[in-house]
Formats: sequence, structure tokens, C-alpha cells
Amino acid sequence: MAAAMGFYTDTTVCIGCKACEVACKEWNQLPATNGGANTLSGNSYDNTRELNGTHWRHVKFVEQFSPDRKQAQWLMMSDVCKHCVQAGCLEVCPTGAIIRTEFDTVVIQSDVCNGCRDCIAACPFDVIGINEATGTAQKCTLCYDRLQNGLTPACAQACPTASIQFGPIQELRQRADGRVSTLKAQGTQAYVYGDEKMLGGLNSFYLLVDRPEVYGLPPDPQLPSRSLGLSWLLSAGGAVVAGLAGALAFRKQRMDGAAEATTVGEGSER
Amino acid sequence: MIPRENLTHWDALVYVEMFLAGVAAGAYMTAAILELVGRGRSSVARTAHLIAFPLMLVCGLLLTVDLGRPERFWHMIVQSKTSLPMFKLWSPMSMGSWLVLVFPAFAFVSFLDALIAGRLFRIGGWRAESTLHGSPAGRIWAVIGGLLAFAVGSYSGILLSATNFPGWGDSAVLGALFVVTAVATGLGALLLGEAIRGQTSHPDIGDLARASVMVILWQLILIVVFVATLGPAGVRVFLAGSALVAIVGAALLGGLLPLLLLRFGAAAARPSMAALAGVLVLVGGFLLRYAVVIGPQQHG
Repeated sequence: MAAAMGFYTDTTVCIGCKACEVACKEWNQLPATNGGANTLSGNSYDNTRELNGTHWRHVKFVEQFSPDRKQAQWLMMSDVCKHCVQAGCLEVCPTGAIIRTEFDTVVIQSDVCNGCRDCIAACPFDVIGINEATGTAQKCTLCYDRLQNGLTPACAQACPTASIQFGPIQELRQRADGRVSTLKAQGTQAYVYGDEKMLGGLNSFYLLVDRPEVYGLPPDPQLPSRSLGLSWLLSAGGAVVAGLAGALAFRKQRMDGAAEATTVGEGSER
Repeated sequence: MIPRENLTHWDALVYVEMFLAGVAAGAYMTAAILELVGRGRSSVARTAHLIAFPLMLVCGLLLTVDLGRPERFWHMIVQSKTSLPMFKLWSPMSMGSWLVLVFPAFAFVSFLDALIAGRLFRIGGWRAESTLHGSPAGRIWAVIGGLLAFAVGSYSGILLSATNFPGWGDSAVLGALFVVTAVATGLGALLLGEAIRGQTSHPDIGDLARASVMVILWQLILIVVFVATLGPAGVRVFLAGSALVAIVGAALLGGLLPLLLLRFGAAAARPSMAALAGVLVLVGGFLLRYAVVIGPQQHG
């Protein structure tokens, strides 16, 4: 197996140019017409709106204002599939369409997926959507085809500020830790979102300067199987109580019948 | 859990399937209990077996049509690239796919047995006087089939719990709620079936009514537990809009009203009353499936 590869996205140097979105759509031949919708979102400069089956990169624009609204700042972040080491989508996929590649990335095989949509609900980051053209679930592949040919993913290649960095995960994590130290020394509260404690580590992780929720990210993402055992246990308990109720009701008649037969029997003996 | 932009679009086909699968599973579980208490050849057990298999056939069809690529339905069972079996014990959807395949196979044998018991035909020594159900082998069949029916009744609720979708992923009691609703609706369908067949003077109908009262009570308790244990996200998606109306409707129409009819309405003696109680329980079960499936998707 090749070294685990991934993305390190330093949100502090993102300028919201959306070159990553364009490069992604161009390389992966994804429609750029937004489903024919020409209306603007009204949400800052974000008209992509979300990650889904045809938007595999999404630059978020978070506008922040001081209480008196005299000062403002943007937080920008190029969002993408997190390629989790413990991936919820891969866990639930009933067809085996979602696989872990030799680069430790998570890929949906479009020729295997049958569009059951369980992965959409399982993903804690709301990354996966249905591509209407194929009828299957789709998301970022971390440019699996490019990786197999020794190329850098299109988005990282196109990023003009090196906000999106691609490489071996261990190397990227060291780079991110160094950047966090530098920023902290400058008085900026920065941290890495997606370390090994989060779902075994996100192979696409971020340097953030505000709470995860501000960027629309879950603070504590979980695997869908987290309460599977408890659910089955409660279900069995529920069924046992219902079953006992049924058995009691049906048994009662039998006992009543038996008692009746005994009474009749005794009566005839007399 | 973060609010959702990408919806699963599990809509009418899915909640109708979940409802019908629940009725089939509940009816079969009832028949299994009857078998275990020595009444495997009763009219109610036979009606249950006549209901379960056809409903499961419809369920398989609905689930297939709901796929984005229906022609690839078999990918759930066989790995398309290796031809090896595709099974993940930890994926409720994978387990459910197998259940929707295996349970109908059991239900089919019971269905045939019910037809043979009704003297419609016979297959060799398999005849009305020597049916599977009501025999020692029938007990084993009922135990295995009953366990499969339990899993069919539970898995769809557990599948919803095993997500990161606000509302579904916040509640671990959905499986319990689904399986108990399945039993309640199964009993409701049997009440209706027996009333239609004019079997209401038979002692079985009184037993069905008694069992229904207890299971409906248990269902009402679980609805309360479900609502009481909802987190903020669950409250936002389930206790608003059409989901709230459906949950209240399920509790009133499918719970309190049939409870009153069965307890005080002499449903056991009056066919129309038994039929009405059965219909109400079915409507309640349907509303509950609708609320649980649609609520979170309306609000994301």
C-alpha cells in the first residue's frame, strides 16, 4: 500500500477565488450549470451553496462582524470530502461500492453504486449527494485517477495560495502543526480540525481559527454504528414485551378453554 | 450533527414499504406466537400466513424501484466485481437487504401451508390433514421465521438510527418503536381480516382484541419515550409541521381510539367494531412511519 495521501487546507490563506471548484469540475467533467438554477444564494459570494453529487469542492464564505458592525472579516474555507480513516459512508454502504484505495482515500465506484442513498445519511459532514446524470451517489475521489498516474489532485494543483496542500498525511500533519505554532506565536488562535482523535483522523484536514460550527463542521463527528448495539437491544426488548403480551392473550383463551372443558367434564361426571 | 443540504429522498416508496413490511412482520410474529402456544392451525395463524408473503413481495418491489439504479438491486446481495456474497453485519441496509430476501422465503412456505390448510390444493403428502404449521416441525419453522420477522420489523428503524441525519441519528429507540408498531399493525390487519371473514364469533377474535389492547398500550408508551428522549434536533424535526400532526394522529387514531373500541366497544362481538379498530391501528402505524421518515427530511 502506498503512503496515506490527503489534503491539508490552511483556511487562513484562502482568498475565495474558487479556482479549486473550477479545476475540480473541469477535471471530473462535472456540470457547472448548478442544475440550471441561475438565482444567487444571497449568502455572501457563495453560490455553490453546498457539497453534493456534482459540487465536490465548495468554497465557504463566513462573514463576521463586530457588534457595532464597523469591522468585518471573512473566513474562507475550501470544503471537500474528509476521506475519514473511519468512514461512515464506507461502513454502511450495502453494495461495496465505497472502497478505501491504496492511498487511504475513500472512493465511490460509480459502476457499482445502485443509488440506495444510505451513505448520504451516514456521512457526518453532509458531503455526499446524488448525481442525477448517473443516478448514483458521488463525491470527491481525491482525483484517484490522477493519483494513480502520479499527478496532484486538480484542486490542489490549481490553488494559487497553497491553501490546499496535497501530500503524504504524516508530512502534511507536521506542516500543519508548524503553521499552528507560528500563528499562535502571532496571537492567532489556530488549531487543526481532523486529527487522529476524530474518526481515526481525517485525511482531508483543516487549519481553522474559529469553532468548527462557524464553518458548518460538526464539532464531534461520529460513526453511524455508534449506537447500533443499543438499538438492537432496545428493539429486542420492545419485541419481547409485545411478544409476551401476545402470548399472554392467546394463552389465556387456551387456559380459559381448558378450565371450561374441565368444568364441563366435571358437570357430565355428575 | 449538522443541518442537512443533501437529503436522502426516502419518500413515499420508502415509508409505504416500511409500513407494509411492518404489517407482514407483525402478522408473522403473531402467527409464530400462536404456533408456540399450540394454536398453529388456528384461523388467525392461517390469515397471518396469507398476509405476510404477498406484502413482502410488494416490499421488495418498492425497495427496488426506489433505488437510483434499480437494475443494480442485486449488488446488495452479490458483489458485482467478484460475485462473492455481499454482506455487512454492521450495516443495517445490508442486513435488511438479506432479510427482505430470506424472510419472504420462509413466509412463502407458510403461505403455501395456509393455502393447503384451506384445501385449495395439496403437494404430495403435504395436505390439509398434515400441514407444516401445527406440527413439531412447524414450531421450529415458526421460531426461525418469527426471529426473521422480528428483524424485518426492527431493521428499518435501526437503519434510520444508524445515520448522522439530525433526528434519525439522535434516537436509539426507533428500532423498538418500529418493531412494536409492526406487531400492533400486524394484529390490526388480523383483526380486520378476521372481521371481513366473519370470524368474529370465534374465540380467536377475543384473543386478538386482548393482545391488541396490550400491544397498543406498549406502543403508546414507546411513542411517549421516543418523544421524551428527543434531543433539540429531534424536537425541531419531529415536533413540527406534518410530522407533528402525524405523530399526534398516530397516538390518537392508532392508539387511544382503538384502545377504547377494543376495551369498551365490545369489538370481539361486533364485526364492524373489530374491523374499525383494525383499520384505525393500521392508519396509526402508517402515520407513524410517515412522520419518522419524512420529519427529518422536511427540515434537514
